[in-house]
Amino acid sequence: MERWALVSGLCGDLDLYERIQSDLKKQRGIAHLFVLGDMIGPDRNCDALLTRLRQPKRGDLQPNCIYGWWEEQLLVAYGYRGEPAQSTQNRTTSIQELRKAVDPAHISWLASLQFGFIELDCGLIHGSSADVGDPLKDTTSPLILLDRLTRLDVNRLFTARSGQQFRLQLTGGQIQSKVKDPTGEQQREQAVPKRSVIGIGSGENYTLYDPASDRVEFLSVAVRSRLSNLGFG
Amino acid sequence: MAHAVISCLHANLAAFQAVLDDIDQQGIKTITCLGDLVGYGPQPNEVVELVRQRAIPTCQGCWDEDIIDGLNACECSYPSQLAERRGHHAHHWTADRLTDDNKAFLAQLPTTLCRDKLLFVHGSPNSQHEYLLPDMNAFAALERVETAGAETLFCGHTHQPYVRELSGGSIRVSVQQSDSEEAREQEMILPMRRIVNAGSVGEPRHGNTKATYVVHDDTTGEVSIREVDYDVAKTCQAIVKAGLPDVFAWRLSHGFEYAERAEDASHVCER
Repeated sequence: MERWALVSGLCGDLDLYERIQSDLKKQRGIAHLFVLGDMIGPDRNCDALLTRLRQPKRGDLQPNCIYGWWEEQLLVAYGYRGEPAQSTQNRTTSIQELRKAVDPAHISWLASLQFGFIELDCGLIHGSSADVGDPLKDTTSPLILLDRLTRLDVNRLFTARSGQQFRLQLTGGQIQSKVKDPTGEQQREQAVPKRSVIGIGSGENYTLYDPASDRVEFLSVAVRSRLSNLGFG
Repeated sequence: MAHAVISCLHANLAAFQAVLDDIDQQGIKTITCLGDLVGYGPQPNEVVELVRQRAIPTCQGCWDEDIIDGLNACECSYPSQLAERRGHHAHHWTADRLTDDNKAFLAQLPTTLCRDKLLFVHGSPNSQHEYLLPDMNAFAALERVETAGAETLFCGHTHQPYVRELSGGSIRVSVQQSDSEEAREQEMILPMRRIVNAGSVGEPRHGNTKATYVVHDDTTGEVSIREVDYDVAKTCQAIVKAGLPDVFAWRLSHGFEYAERAEDASHVCER
């Protein structure tokens, strides 16, 4: 079975993207690359990375991109999406920097990106099914995690917003529900479904997933490059 | 102390007056309204003015919001184009007749009201358009109450009254942060929470034509669902006379869910 690579938070860093692409070539059986948003950010010019994502070089694993929190902020600033969040000095400065970091020629492409992907029984989203900015962590209440899974009706939810790498599996539990209405009373027990939320990491940290075996592998190009620097290479 | 919670009046003056009489006869002084004062029915100004006259604390419902903000829900709100056309017709009819003063009143309504650990909303704490149906996933239902920081959530919107108690819950999880790390096992014990749906005063859809509301005793925690007879034929005649879709009168005279609710009731409109 073909494995997936899940990446997020590149924030305009083409060098980082090339290191991840290079790393992926060394892995076996990677068939799909999903970029779960935050391709852009306010700290550097993002045009070279966006051009590369839109027009991959020969040998690149073809990226499948969705939008993330920074893309949402930029699209709001350009009037493509709802109302802007409350304006603060920091936010205003960040948005100004973000606008400078992305050539307007990329805006319509960014606006065409989807909120998430459903692949097999998995949901792939930047934040969560509730909001692109929803930072799901391994410490987030399991009740909230279960709700986010239920909203999409998926067995696995891959999320990037928190930047954390983790796998949280719902392994058991139940709840009693008693409903009284004008026709009478009903009681039933509902069991916790066996589902998972997977934080894929951000930037140098990314994740591989094998849908056939349900195996998750957390990787980092930071560690790999640091290790290779220690050698004789 | 007992207080009454009413919802979904839908411009049905006869039903609203009958419910107020029933509340008054019980000596209940506190009433909270969960919105949808207008829509479907023939007396939007009269109903809004009676709410204002009685100074009833009120949340904004989805119809109240749409009258103020305009129809910008996606087409998911209706199961068919015919139902959508009927809904839009009722929307424009109501918007044309509602006075500026009454529109201003609807515009300033809050989306939530809170009293101690009791939370009052129209649909759900997330949206005036979200249906909390009695058979909704129990964990998701509990999440709505718990995330809002309430112990009891009062809602409407479904037009079906119910009291739902969620108890004895727990969730066990296993957490792993790296490939080499041993998984940590944890268990979360879930609190007991309640959802109380007040049903509908002006457009009941629970299987009979009686107007419904609930009475909650905040000392004992007891909740009773009240069903009140009113002059259904009078409102039906007014609907037809006003030129509103006949099917609204037909539905009112049966008390059934019919045609207007979205097929996927759990869907929350992305505006």
